[in-house]
Amino acid sequence: MSIVSFWFLVFICAGVILYYTLPKSWQWVGLLVMSILFYFMAAVPYTIVYVLVSVFVAYLATNFAFFARFQSGRGKKIVCILGILAIVVNTGLWFVLKGADIWGKLVPGFNNAPVLPVAALGMGYYTLQIIGYILDCFMGNALPQKNPLKLFLFVCFFPQLITGPISRYGQLQGLYEGHELSYKNIAFGAQRILWGFFKKLVLAERVGIAVNAVWDIQGQDAVCLWFAFLLYPIQMYADFSGCMDIAIGTAECFGIKLPENFNNPFFSRTIQEFWQRWHITLGTWAKDYVLYPLLKTEGMLRFSKAAKKRFGKRYGKFITSAVGMLVLWLVMGIWHGGMKYIVGVSMWYWFLLMLGELCSPGLKRLNKILKINEECFSWHLFQSIRTYMIYAVGAVFFRAVNINEAILFLRNTIGAFFKGKWNFDIIFELETIMGLSGRDWIIVLLSIVMLVLVGLLRQNADYARCWVEKQILPFRWGIWLGLFLFVVIYGKYGAEYNAVNFIYQAF
Amino acid sequence: MTRESVYERLNNVFRDVFDDESIELNDETTADDIEDWDSFEHINLVVAVEEEFSFKIPMGKVITMKNVGEMVDIILSMGK
Repeated sequence: MSIVSFWFLVFICAGVILYYTLPKSWQWVGLLVMSILFYFMAAVPYTIVYVLVSVFVAYLATNFAFFARFQSGRGKKIVCILGILAIVVNTGLWFVLKGADIWGKLVPGFNNAPVLPVAALGMGYYTLQIIGYILDCFMGNALPQKNPLKLFLFVCFFPQLITGPISRYGQLQGLYEGHELSYKNIAFGAQRILWGFFKKLVLAERVGIAVNAVWDIQGQDAVCLWFAFLLYPIQMYADFSGCMDIAIGTAECFGIKLPENFNNPFFSRTIQEFWQRWHITLGTWAKDYVLYPLLKTEGMLRFSKAAKKRFGKRYGKFITSAVGMLVLWLVMGIWHGGMKYIVGVSMWYWFLLMLGELCSPGLKRLNKILKINEECFSWHLFQSIRTYMIYAVGAVFFRAVNINEAILFLRNTIGAFFKGKWNFDIIFELETIMGLSGRDWIIVLLSIVMLVLVGLLRQNADYARCWVEKQILPFRWGIWLGLFLFVVIYGKYGAEYNAVNFIYQAF
Repeated sequence: MTRESVYERLNNVFRDVFDDESIELNDETTADDIEDWDSFEHINLVVAVEEEFSFKIPMGKVITMKNVGEMVDIILSMGK
């Protein structure tokens, strides 16, 4: 069952009725039953065993460690061993099943990724959640969950199962609390789900047709290549953030707040800022559970001190951050589960972030000399376009099958630009070449304008739906009914059409 | 140790780490208020605070503290 299907909406409606008819102390059981049902309908059923193993290991380790803490002497050692063991088992299980593209190349005898059993649904996401939970318990930020079924619910809560967001245990305590039926929660949740359907079915699916057409032809025409190059980040954003809207909206219907994963990433002025606004929960997870503990190890502190002594404060910090960021970005790249991500995510962003760090004081001085007003709109726009282009290069690695294909596409795209293969007449033939009619292109354009407007509203005032809520009744209904009809009429769905899987569902 | 005396010593630690004599901390000060306060300086800061007040800030607190006020609370409960 896809989450952009009619049956998913029926599932949510039935779930909401069940949830609010249950006594408050039983509501979490209702969520658990729904989540297990959803898993069986959306994934290969037997793979739930992997989820159970992860939960079981985390449950045992955290609870035993909690008791061992009070034992004298050997207690501390046992706690450490249990924590490491639980993390190794969870990471190992994930790496074997999802990281085959990486270890297949490293293990002698495999030239390509070996064929393995199917991994669990959303394995990359829930593995990070459970590791976060284990570390939170061992670092004293959370008490171990005594009820294994409640821990299981934390891991397999159905709205966030497919593509996250990667929640912290402390953030999801609402799962276990009872909730009153609230019109506001249901209305806000439904509106957010509708907005997610719009992003996925109207925009992402439509743009996907055009992008796929160009990738399939692998032609040499600059106009087509640049169309695909520049549109793919929009497809990714509409796809991933649309899925997030559906997840967050669904949880909201049950009175549960999931963390936000996006904050207008394309308004970012630098690539560093971009990663604070794109897939936020992955970035903060890696910062809290990888970067900080690494930087605070004795070895890194000594290294940092030595680097500062040898190269001065500024360059010493640069060297320490280069090492820390390399580890952080390697973890982020490996998490995506393929060699191409180590190049397109880890190496690409690490290199650019370090370059930015090195050059930024010089560039700031240059801007002062050239009397550039860094606060004006056009400078901001230039910075945002630059950030978008950098992201677009990294995104090519998500679309390509492997590193070679990504590099070939980039070479063709850049090559066509400089060789002047600009056949602008092609714009009148986009329908035949890219599979979208003139009407489709107008819908794409209109949808992008809507995204920008909603983004501006959030940036400068509030969430769009909070803004709409303050308006008069006919206006409110006009907006939501209009959006609903827009999705029904122009969404890519129906008996003859299957919405493709979410891009981030692969992780 | 009073809250005021902690602030006095903490101001000096911050001024030293960020090379900025104009820093004046209060409970609400966060990383957004100090230009150079990024992930790396955060750890440098934590280490400098640990040295000044002779105690180790647990990793869990390093992750969760949201502003200077919370840092002061931790120091008051654990520092010397």
